[in-house]
Amino acid sequence: MRKRSKYLLLEIASPFLAIFFAVLVGALVILAIKKNPVEVYRTMFLFSFRRLDSLAIILFGATPLIFSGLAVAVGFKAGLFNIGIEGQYLIGTFLAALVGFAVKGLPAFIHLPLVILMAMVGGAVWAWLPIYLKVRRGVHEVISTIMLNYISYSLIHFFIAEVFMDKQQGLAPGVGNPLIRLPKIASTALMPKMHGFLSLFGIDLPDHVYLNWFFPLALLLAVGYYFLVWRTPFGYELRAVGQNPAGAEAAGIKPGAVFFKAFLLSGAIAGLTGLSDLLSYFGYMDLDFPRGYGFNGIAVALMGKNGPLGIVLAALLFGFLNRGAEGVQAFVGVPMDTIVILQGVMILSIVVFSEVMGRFIRQQEKKEGLQGSVVL
Amino acid sequence: MDNPKMEVSIVQLRGITKRFPGLVANDSINLEVTRGEIHAIVGENGAGKSTLMKILTGLYQPDGGEIYLNGTRVEISGPRQAIGLGIGMVHQHFMLIPRFTVLENIILGSEPARRGVLKDKEARGLVEELCRRYDFKLESQVRVWDLSVGQQQRVEILKVLYRGAEILILDEPTAVLAPQEVRELFVNLRNLKGQGKTIIFISHKLDEVLEIADRISVLRRGRMVGTVMAKETDKRQLSEMMVGRPVFLKTEKSQPRVGEERLKVKDLTVLGNLGRPAVRQVNLTILAGEIYGIAGIEGNGQSELIEALMGLRKILSGQVLIKGQLTSDKSVQEIRALGVGYVPEDRHRRGLILPMMVWENAVLGLHRLRDFSRPTGLNFKNIFAHTNRLVREFDIRLGSVDLPVRNLSGGNQQKVILAREMSRDPGLIIASQPTRGLDIGATEFVHQQLIKAREQGRAVLVVSADLEEVLSLSDRVGVIYNGEIVAEFRPEEVTPEEIGHYMLGTKSLLREGVGA
Repeated sequence: MRKRSKYLLLEIASPFLAIFFAVLVGALVILAIKKNPVEVYRTMFLFSFRRLDSLAIILFGATPLIFSGLAVAVGFKAGLFNIGIEGQYLIGTFLAALVGFAVKGLPAFIHLPLVILMAMVGGAVWAWLPIYLKVRRGVHEVISTIMLNYISYSLIHFFIAEVFMDKQQGLAPGVGNPLIRLPKIASTALMPKMHGFLSLFGIDLPDHVYLNWFFPLALLLAVGYYFLVWRTPFGYELRAVGQNPAGAEAAGIKPGAVFFKAFLLSGAIAGLTGLSDLLSYFGYMDLDFPRGYGFNGIAVALMGKNGPLGIVLAALLFGFLNRGAEGVQAFVGVPMDTIVILQGVMILSIVVFSEVMGRFIRQQEKKEGLQGSVVL
Repeated sequence: MDNPKMEVSIVQLRGITKRFPGLVANDSINLEVTRGEIHAIVGENGAGKSTLMKILTGLYQPDGGEIYLNGTRVEISGPRQAIGLGIGMVHQHFMLIPRFTVLENIILGSEPARRGVLKDKEARGLVEELCRRYDFKLESQVRVWDLSVGQQQRVEILKVLYRGAEILILDEPTAVLAPQEVRELFVNLRNLKGQGKTIIFISHKLDEVLEIADRISVLRRGRMVGTVMAKETDKRQLSEMMVGRPVFLKTEKSQPRVGEERLKVKDLTVLGNLGRPAVRQVNLTILAGEIYGIAGIEGNGQSELIEALMGLRKILSGQVLIKGQLTSDKSVQEIRALGVGYVPEDRHRRGLILPMMVWENAVLGLHRLRDFSRPTGLNFKNIFAHTNRLVREFDIRLGSVDLPVRNLSGGNQQKVILAREMSRDPGLIIASQPTRGLDIGATEFVHQQLIKAREQGRAVLVVSADLEEVLSLSDRVGVIYNGEIVAEFRPEEVTPEEIGHYMLGTKSLLREGVGA
């Protein structure tokens, strides 16, 4: 994306101002529960940035959000509001888990890519119905994706608890309750952690950290997203349709076809969201598999203004806030919910600040545009 | 026209200034309007006419200057206060409720009532008395959706009179009317003037202004150029005042040298948005090297016809052949690839992607051409070279091609579209309302381009609500009424009045093969 450097500084400055504002509001909340905000923020920072494991955990925590953020952004760029990331990644994760435990005897270099592919297929399949309904029947995608989220919850529950539940969990008879989960995924389908690679550089991560190769993969995907959207004719059509479908149609672009492709792509990327947890942290899928990445992905895309760099940074910010929250809860006795409030304020203020800044920049551009055309 | 009695000015504006970010819309404007005169305010788009009137009706507050009514200084805080002071505005776009009757529309918002119960009889009496006094031919119990555009405009004027306006501001009142309706409007306006009302008439159609107004004030780029007596001026002087330089009013063109058939439409029927046929059994043929104009009052199927030709709307029955090829099973893209350049009537909705950059808009629809992209990536170098060439050749005025096209003026936006569509060397150009909303300079430019295209042997289809434009550009003219081409002429064969009859549907020559 080509940008006028004049306004770049303003655009970069606005989220930082917003974060600063949110921090002030957060301080008031912390004061209200009779804690010292300076101490809380200090702890948050030190706990997050002074410890190697915290840093790695932030990256690990950001990984699913980069995927879901990119998935939302692809939709946004085409003018589609994919609220269904949540359902799409659960279905994708489930299909991945299925192929992960059911297929055996494949070498890792086939099995792992196959599992990743299945996750994408799952996400795309779950995105297919809403976009079909939108393009052919005019059903708004927000409604249908929300509904499909609920269906996916129930479907996953049914498959895990009723159909594929692992009955041989190796517990001694009469000892404990078995987990309601799918069988464990074959080792050939698991994603290796980055520990070995990082130790080459003298960085030794402890074992309780699950930073794995999905993180660099997510960064790579962000780069790919940039090229696709801003450098290819398909991306051009995506943006044209997203901003003015009637205009794009008159130019010979088929909005329906672009909607279809964009939404399926969004679903496919959404399918990757759960893999970092599934193939590294858990190694199986159970009923309590993490939820909410989809909705946080919307916030991430919004904060990142649908740009690849913005999305990665916003995801890292979320990762930091989550890790920092654990720190302040443990060391200062401030409940994690305080940090959740901080997150909420931050999202709101970033969105508002960037809108205000956007208006200002548009006004400036208008002046600039008029300067050239006063004669006519 | 009798001379206005030179009494005290009913409206006096002194040094009115209004600034918007980045431009001064009104720059210390002085204006005096005498009681009982018809005072025209002319100027190009963006000259500041509407801003000035919005200040007079209280929609905008001026940043500087004073308003005097009958010699007393007033502050006008809103339309409600303006009408209280006797200033009423008749908008260009009617604000009527179609399913209400004439009476209901007129009294809406200031109904005579006792204890919340409408005094029906009294209201009706009031309105009918108004109609009688000003000789407005209107039935008060007819629903507005049954009225013609001219009649609807009368309802709008009555609305303002009903509220006690002494000063009526009419914003481009003739833009939507056929010549006959314009004449009726002028009769009404003279009646109003005869009864002592003051009329401020905003327009950019100089012939009409010269006919109806007593005095004419000219605005240019936010400044008052001057006020002249209508009797003592002419079109040439006025347009020079408006533009600031001499203007060629007549479009010069040579005899057509026609070639093969480029567009053939056979018995075309197309449905409108309401599911009823909007285009009925239309037949037309356009040859290479000629301009075919479609005249008609807006909403008579022009838009639907063009959309059907471009593949943007389904054809119900009949055929469209472009360069001899049937288009019924072709996509928009395939139709354009036959060599069709398209200048849509609504350039913001159909012609451009406003938030996208100028260079992105310069290749819209061409972006898949080999020169500009491979599936793996856009060729920025070629796209920019192409854009810069268009900017040069079409003299597009802009700060940078790397700014959203939304920032360009209307004329320059239209140039971007025209330049883009011409750049693919089209055999057929379909231009719908090509000069709508453009100022004189840009209009002139668009006309020249269309005529140049014709001279290069392209076939050109022009649809315009501006009858004068159609007649001056076209080699042949078809008149569309209620979805049918009711007559076909060569422009020199007919008077505008006669065409007006066809436009209003009071006369029909359907399929009698007059003209080509």
